[in-house]
Amino acid sequence: MTQSNSTKVMTTKEAVKRFVHDGDTIITGNYTEALPLSLIFEVIRQEKKEMTLYSQSGNMDAEFLVAGDCISRMVSTFVTKWGGRQGGSMVGRYLKAGKLEIEDYTNFTYNAMLAAGAAGYSYMQVLPAIMDTDVFKKRGFMGANKFGVTTCPFTGKTIPVVPAANPDVCLLHVQRADKYGNAQHWGGLGSTVHACLASKNIIVTCEEIVDHEVIRSAPHHTIVPDFRVSAVIEEPYGCHPMELPGYYGTDLNALSIFMFTNATETGLKDWMEEWVYALPDRSSYIQHYIETYGLPTLEQYRAKPYYSAPTNYGISTKSLWDEQGKSIEMNIDFAEMEKLIVEKGDLVNG
Amino acid sequence: MDKPYTRQELLVIAVARQIKDGDNALLGIGLPTIAGAVAKHNHAPRARLMMESGIADFDPVVPPMHIADACCTEGYSYAIDLFGMFTSITFAGYLDKAVLGVGQIDKYGNLNSSYMVSPDGKPERITGAGGAPEFISYAKETILTLKSGEFVEKLDYFTSPGYLGGGNERDESGIYPKGSGPSILITPRAMFKFDSKTKEMYLSALAPGVSLDKIKSKIPWELKVAQELERFPVPTQEELAFLRKFSPRSCFSTRVSNELLMNTAIEAFSQRAAFLEQTRKHGVIQNAAS
Repeated sequence: MTQSNSTKVMTTKEAVKRFVHDGDTIITGNYTEALPLSLIFEVIRQEKKEMTLYSQSGNMDAEFLVAGDCISRMVSTFVTKWGGRQGGSMVGRYLKAGKLEIEDYTNFTYNAMLAAGAAGYSYMQVLPAIMDTDVFKKRGFMGANKFGVTTCPFTGKTIPVVPAANPDVCLLHVQRADKYGNAQHWGGLGSTVHACLASKNIIVTCEEIVDHEVIRSAPHHTIVPDFRVSAVIEEPYGCHPMELPGYYGTDLNALSIFMFTNATETGLKDWMEEWVYALPDRSSYIQHYIETYGLPTLEQYRAKPYYSAPTNYGISTKSLWDEQGKSIEMNIDFAEMEKLIVEKGDLVNG
Repeated sequence: MDKPYTRQELLVIAVARQIKDGDNALLGIGLPTIAGAVAKHNHAPRARLMMESGIADFDPVVPPMHIADACCTEGYSYAIDLFGMFTSITFAGYLDKAVLGVGQIDKYGNLNSSYMVSPDGKPERITGAGGAPEFISYAKETILTLKSGEFVEKLDYFTSPGYLGGGNERDESGIYPKGSGPSILITPRAMFKFDSKTKEMYLSALAPGVSLDKIKSKIPWELKVAQELERFPVPTQEELAFLRKFSPRSCFSTRVSNELLMNTAIEAFSQRAAFLEQTRKHGVIQNAAS
């Protein structure tokens, strides 16, 4: 939906309160890199319930939301075994305990549902070989609506299709945005653009809110336009401990703790008591990290710059009036033109 | 004198040799990306390495941890997205090779990476389909690698199509590019190819120091063996030198490698009271040890 032009800059707490509701379908916008963990921690703190999660890679995003008891259904293509071969994953544990249902897609078919949703289509064709697999044949909670088949009107061939997906809220973390919500991201994109554009509301956290002029000078980095964004939050370290090109790398210190604690359900839940529930926001999370591990630990993961070549969008003509105030097209000045308007114009008044 | 090499190094190098100069090669995470880097630096400088998140023609400086890892986006030629990777590159016919890891495989090269039936008869989640089904279906050729996966008579879940029921079934179905499918399966102990008529997997090479009986003991059907076995490729000193610099832990088995990693983390961080405090508080040491 088109978002109003009133100010969208707010806190993470406010954004989650306003735009995420019990029973909603939410989607992780980022694809393994730059997971929107500040937003996810806030969703958990606000104890949102009975939501359906679209998570392409069933990564840390899913692990936390499931452990926070926010999710009862999940649409995914993958479950990352963060707790190791033996430990498994929080998603796996909840599936086994019957506390979570999952619908399995492939990376492409998952993306195709979002592409349809983003385009305003009701379905999208997918690659025919999927019909030979159990991904197509075995149905979970989506039942008959998981896949369909249609016939190409031009070739007569049978084509499998997926339904459009239009999640209620997309959670996204990017490098920078302006106060209107134009969000810029560079790096591995996955299905991020489709995830955003398919969703009814998009909440954007960014490392920096920059001037609108910065956005205008590099429009090729804008992945979501302002009129689709509901909230913008400047949230440094918004995806920590995952990485964001140009800002910071994966924090191996935090990641090893996460992996080790996630070897058991109680291990991770106990960790979350201290690092999610007991802290009000991301800045206190980072403050707690610095107090616990020291600033040098955090600083060692800061990205070393690698700048893209500047893009020259320059043009030759910026005004149809030259420096002497003459019209380039008519070779007359402004006063002469206004005289001509009276002489030759198709006047309405006077 | 040549340096000694490990069974894990033997596998990485054998996979790397499958990637040729000029190939558009899609790499799964883990061993395939490491093999891709070795190929690019040793014999295939113009191979275009790709990951399904939309990172095309990258040149990793360190091994990526996931398929959109920022270590692969510092300098790459073509930034697209996942949808384009599967459609305009793969389905449209521009993907020469897919290099994928295997969880379960049957005799016709069909794969399962989704669920396994546990001893109590319940389906247990493995990882998932990811991008494998479409890549093995539409890449011109697929290279399979197997480290800790298994050979089965019947897959617990049919995730990715190899040669289906064998024979001409794949080609005749009309929904796969003619001649596509898995061309080779490489493990640390052997290589397997697929019979041109029956499409059944057969043993094509034995790694040094491995007996035929040992291989047969892992395979639940009567394994066919090539009349004349090929020579299993042996790493060169240059390949080993690059691999050890690029991905030092690849020389070891997963178990040893994880032990080394965990010891380092514990050793480095135990000097910081905070790490110890955290690990004790959240039961990490106990978990890690169990």
